[in-house]
Amino acid sequence: MAHLTEGTLRRMVDDPDARSGADAAHLEGCTECQGRFEVVSDDARSIATLLAVPDTRVDVGRAFEHVMSEWKSQPALGFRLPMLGPTNRPLKLAFVAAVAAAALVVVAFAAGGLFFQPTTVKTVPVTVADMQALSQLADYGTLTWTKEPQFQATTSAADASALAAGLQPPVVANLPDGVSTTVTYGAMSEAVATFTFSADKAAAAAARQGKTLPAMPEGMDGATLTVTVGPAVGEIYGNLNQNPSSASANSINLPQLIVAKSASPTAKSTQVTVQQLEAFILAQPGISKELKAAIAAIGDPSTTLLIPVPVEYATSKPVTVQGVDGVALGDNTGVGSGVVWVKGGNVYVVAGSIKQSDAIDIANNLK
Amino acid sequence: MNLGARRMTAVGSEDEAFEALFTAEYGRVAGIANRVLADPHEAEDVAQEVFIDFHRLHSATAEYAPAWLHRAAAHASLNRLRGARRRQKREAAQALEESDHTLDPQKQLEVSEDRRQVRQALGRLAPRPAAALAMRASGLSYAEVAQALGVGIGQVGTLLRRAEAALRKEVTRGTSN
Repeated sequence: MAHLTEGTLRRMVDDPDARSGADAAHLEGCTECQGRFEVVSDDARSIATLLAVPDTRVDVGRAFEHVMSEWKSQPALGFRLPMLGPTNRPLKLAFVAAVAAAALVVVAFAAGGLFFQPTTVKTVPVTVADMQALSQLADYGTLTWTKEPQFQATTSAADASALAAGLQPPVVANLPDGVSTTVTYGAMSEAVATFTFSADKAAAAAARQGKTLPAMPEGMDGATLTVTVGPAVGEIYGNLNQNPSSASANSINLPQLIVAKSASPTAKSTQVTVQQLEAFILAQPGISKELKAAIAAIGDPSTTLLIPVPVEYATSKPVTVQGVDGVALGDNTGVGSGVVWVKGGNVYVVAGSIKQSDAIDIANNLK
Repeated sequence: MNLGARRMTAVGSEDEAFEALFTAEYGRVAGIANRVLADPHEAEDVAQEVFIDFHRLHSATAEYAPAWLHRAAAHASLNRLRGARRRQKREAAQALEESDHTLDPQKQLEVSEDRRQVRQALGRLAPRPAAALAMRASGLSYAEVAQALGVGIGQVGTLLRRAEAALRKEVTRGTSN
């Protein structure tokens, strides 16, 4: 038998499960490995000493109360995504982008008064700095749920539809090869969030960061923005029980395909016009020139849903889907792609670890 | 589709599941962060942020929940360790805290200096070996470390061995500078 590897010897130092079987028998009879084992075990002991710290005594109950109060004071513009694993950084960023999109919807678009209801989609490039700048806006007021979203996965289309106020899940005509036929239906109830601007909070937030606040429009203090999202329904194809510790999960930890349909989001404001808000938001320190230019170039902002595309991680192109303008994200490598379009008062999304051409094909054949 | 069936339950039981997960894992998550930061207060800050992030995006009934939390604790605390400004603040706070101890101030100073150098060295390691060291040192089993890092259990010994050699080298480099 070959000599034991350094890794095996290291494990034998402090893993009781490794101290049996053929490896243990080898160590017993091999003086060379015994010598190496001594070295490995001395190293392990000395590193353990270096890393030693006094024991932590934690008050779990108090910590839980603190976490829950933080959680309740910062309602996220999103819902839990049980399928999003920790390893998939670009997709996590895409989710952050989606939250930023909600923020943009809140702040930026409604010509023709104070109301916004998109009928088409366009992409705008966002950078990580943009997302950070937008997330600071949460410090400028108070966000409360008038109606909290409830997200559930169910095994039947009928259950999903019932939660989503009767919205029917779209039907995929043909699944691409290799996509699991295991399907979970998901539904989100309608959610309404209201953001109330506070001049005091905004000034304090700017002071904390040592920055000067852009001039606030008249009437901004106490102005509200109310955003309604959903209801939404969708299907998730693939095995959601996939464990991230399994070997394959190291690279992909996502369902293979998600098809979703949501009532178009709407936004309305009080006290200030949305154009004033748009100007204020885009004046924040940290917003990139590209994002400002892209937003300035939108023809009719009252009817356009913006899809933020993280410039470092994704590419996009305009496509025609079901006779209307849509946006295709990702590429043809099969790592990840998606299509988004608005039709008949609903926003549709087809996305997954599939080729872009397959995503467009599914989108065009969706019933 | 037992997962689908599980999700049929109401949001209320999601909160209960989160509380159960919190109770089971909070001490371990804070322990991992403390092993990296050598600062119990900051470690609890990290642990609470990790749980809030988890609660925002994931279901507490997900099978991967503990592994996710352990990995997030290691990476979040390593990220803090690398943040220069925070490190300075922490060192100032540590010096203050440790100066309160009346037992042998010279010894305290040495312990504090050693800890600071080891943490600086840990912050210079690649994220995965550094996370493996922190998790194992905080008492996670080989199987738990493997799950958190998404590797086979057989690879954990190799990862630890390499991480220990790298840490030793970094500590030596730090003290010889």
